Amino acid sequence: MRAVPRAPRIEGRGLLTLLLIGAVGLSALSVPWGGDLVHPGGGSAVGSIVKALARVELSPEFLRITAYAAWTTLRFAVAGVTLALAIGLPLGVVASGVLTRSGGRKTASIVVARFVLALLRSIHELVWAWLFVVAIGLSPMAVILALALPYAGILGRVFADALIDVPEEPLRALRSAGASEIKLLVYGRLTIALPDMLGYGFYRFECAIRSAAIFSFVGVQGLGYQIQLSLDDLLWNEVWTLLIALAALVLLVDAWSSQVRRRLVS
Amino acid sequence: MTHLADTPIIRVENAAKAYSGRLAIAPLSFTVAEGEKVAVLGPSGSGKTTLLHLTAGIIHPDSGTVELGGHATSELGAGGESASLVGAIHQQYDLVGHLSVVHNVLAGRLGRWGLLRSLWSLLSPQDLGLAEDALERVGLLERLYERTSRLSGGEQQRVAIARLLVQDPRVIVADEPVASLDPARARDLLILLSSVASDAGKTLVASLHSTELATEFFDRAIGLRDGLVVFDLPVMELDRGILDDLYHLEVAG
Repeated sequence: MRAVPRAPRIEGRGLLTLLLIGAVGLSALSVPWGGDLVHPGGGSAVGSIVKALARVELSPEFLRITAYAAWTTLRFAVAGVTLALAIGLPLGVVASGVLTRSGGRKTASIVVARFVLALLRSIHELVWAWLFVVAIGLSPMAVILALALPYAGILGRVFADALIDVPEEPLRALRSAGASEIKLLVYGRLTIALPDMLGYGFYRFECAIRSAAIFSFVGVQGLGYQIQLSLDDLLWNEVWTLLIALAALVLLVDAWSSQVRRRLVS
Repeated sequence: MTHLADTPIIRVENAAKAYSGRLAIAPLSFTVAEGEKVAVLGPSGSGKTTLLHLTAGIIHPDSGTVELGGHATSELGAGGESASLVGAIHQQYDLVGHLSVVHNVLAGRLGRWGLLRSLWSLLSPQDLGLAEDALERVGLLERLYERTSRLSGGEQQRVAIARLLVQDPRVIVADEPVASLDPARARDLLILLSSVASDAGKTLVASLHSTELATEFFDRAIGLRDGLVVFDLPVMELDRGILDDLYHLEVAG
């Protein structure tokens, strides 16, 4: 009896792809392409928003407000991500299961840690914020916790996978040099996974800035709060100043991240 | 244990190992005396790597026993106990590229250091003198604080030997140590490896592709084919006929 390998079934997958593309195309037919698609005032509103970009609010007084709001948002983001790292890293190590050899205890600790991480990240930071504001009132602590918990869930999950995906050869060599699992974690896994983990941590820091700005919906100071105030008065020139400040913060973190990673990798 | 001096440092008895039903090592037996240098020869897929991993205690036999210094490898505790008996180097990818050379070398001490000392060493290298001596021996002292991934393949292999020097095991197991090096560098590396073993009376077991290097640097050669020992001879007694038998390709009938 000869075992002839079966040809991979690319045909079926290709057909599915075609069907899906067709479905997306057909869905365009259900859009009412008439004059009601954009509401009547929409065009002129977009016009005034774009025109405001030419006269961005740059008065010293408003720049001071913007700078202070950006500083507030940045502080929330830094505190939130720091706490998220402190919670997410140990949980991620447990969830990766690399500290325990096989057996029931290993499975149990992995399942429990993964469940906690999933619970933390499956609730959106705005929902956490609402919960904490109800529970402990509108304090900076409520905002920081609301940022830190879901971010810890996301970071922990990604860190766990990064620690598992480390190549086996250097670990095997460290083991044969007599390293225990915990020494292996520090000398091997964390060291090798560090650039990826740092890169992802920085990316999450950018996201935290965005989230911290959005927290104005629960009444917190910062860039989001100022944007809301200016929006209420339809002062688009101020909104632009604040949005540019937000983007500048994100770019700043991006630049810092590439600099740190370059130093680490090269 | 009355004849301690006669006890072989490595004793492999009827050891067999299978991977997903396919026998990589058929039941085979041999012993190696302390201080002996043994080359393992054989075509690709003959089971050399499996045999070396068994000898280094990285894997354990499905049946039979592998004993190092009188202890079955399956019963050796991980950590210091096993690390002082046997150390291994592989053809490459053996080091942590992101760590500096000094930490890769000092990783040879991880079996002896406690946890706190191991962690502290990453900030302030412990037993630095040992690392310096070892790196001087392999000719890389000036690279002490360089990132390991910046070193060439041959240099990294010498860092791995420096780590073995610091680990100071009684048996060195080298799996294809020169497979990824050009002929000149391969000779240099084997000169280094065999002198490191000779100086300290260590036992050396290495798998090789080149029979010339085997005759030059080793006392004894074990020929492996399809997981079985085809010959086990002093290197002087190797001749063309024996080697042709080992490497000839079977013509499908």
